[in-house]
Amino acid sequence: MLRLAASGFRDPMSGLDDNARFASVVMPHIDDAYRLAHWLTGSRTDAEDVVQDASLRAFRAIRGFAGGSARAWVLSIVRNTAYSWLHKNRPAAVVTVDDLEAVELAQANPGDPDAPTPEATLIAKADAEHLRAAIAALPPPFRETLVLRDIEGLDYREIAEATEVPIGTVMSRLARARRRLIATIEGEAS
Amino acid sequence: MSEATSDNNSVLLVHAYLDGELDAANALGIAQRMSAEPALAAEGERVSALKTLIHERLPRESAPPGLHARIEASIGGVRSQRARPSWRALAASIALTAVVASSSTWIIFGPQPENTVADSLVSDHIRSLMASEPTDVASSDRHTVKPWFNGRIPESPRVVDLAKVDFPLVGGRLDVIGQTPVPTLVYRHAKHLISLTEIPAESHIELARMPRTINGYNLVHWTENGVSYWAISDLALPQLEQFAQLFRTNPAEL
Repeated sequence: MLRLAASGFRDPMSGLDDNARFASVVMPHIDDAYRLAHWLTGSRTDAEDVVQDASLRAFRAIRGFAGGSARAWVLSIVRNTAYSWLHKNRPAAVVTVDDLEAVELAQANPGDPDAPTPEATLIAKADAEHLRAAIAALPPPFRETLVLRDIEGLDYREIAEATEVPIGTVMSRLARARRRLIATIEGEAS
Repeated sequence: MSEATSDNNSVLLVHAYLDGELDAANALGIAQRMSAEPALAAEGERVSALKTLIHERLPRESAPPGLHARIEASIGGVRSQRARPSWRALAASIALTAVVASSSTWIIFGPQPENTVADSLVSDHIRSLMASEPTDVASSDRHTVKPWFNGRIPESPRVVDLAKVDFPLVGGRLDVIGQTPVPTLVYRHAKHLISLTEIPAESHIELARMPRTINGYNLVHWTENGVSYWAISDLALPQLEQFAQLFRTNPAEL
């Protein structure tokens, strides 16, 4: 037994292994975590607090990481931490998904191809500041989906894991988020 | 309705196509539809333009310098496995916490297992390191720090001026154990922050069973005049014990 233990059969429950796992699973994604937290809270200071809090949560839960995309796992913790933080500190900023989906359903079909549409060339002229503001103004479920795809570059499956929704929901949220952004940019350009 | 749904699905497929999420057969299918249907083609152009815009105008920001180090320091022990001087320095700038308690007015401690108290204090300590300020009241003046506790808790803690012996006071804060607020003083030694906390000593803690280290933080505990004192830090144990000794032997601020 002792020989086994000494020859690489280290106890996976030991603190050392947790630290090693944390270093390999969580630490490579701190920049991604920070960016997502920044987009969700709208503040660098708050983003730092959220990432630190999320890191501790991730450390405590590190044995629950069962493989798959480490980045999606880390970002899902960051996301949940950010929403808890917002709920506690800025309850007015939190829109529940149910409210949101109801609003969306009440509005025109976001996939209506006959809706008035801006020119692609108009979109290309938007400046960074307006773009940033337009993303920040998206409701959180749309914003997180768009940020994870178009800024962080996660694939749909990873976004589904990180945001805990089916891939179909990821797809419709992403399309809606992009359409809202495009409409905002068009509104400002015209 | 079914037509609208079908159109909506086509739109989603255009997005998925541009995101590289479709297999060859589906990609071919939607590419053919885009070339045949102007509405879908226009959607594709807008989405492409938006993706390009985001990519070009919004550079991906890195986490602020020091965040990695603070996270690694707060996790504790990670620093022992990898030798990166930058976070060793930062990990060293952590704190020493001592806990001071008094009288029997605070009732919660009797039934608390002592490790819960120790764990709770280490958690408070780690949290304070992650906050923008490790203290609720930041002052090196014991005449400012001690009165701050008045009105917040039944008795303000014993405050000792140790600046002359290289342990200047940084400030104080309230920590919570169970549901009871306890006073914590924060001192500093060189680059290390030091926190010192007081708890009522009625819980008959057996020193032999006390952990000396939790999550990489050293603990020193002693009891005096019915008050239980706790020191927590990543400082080396001898220095932590030196701090405890100085705190015990120097006269308290009245």
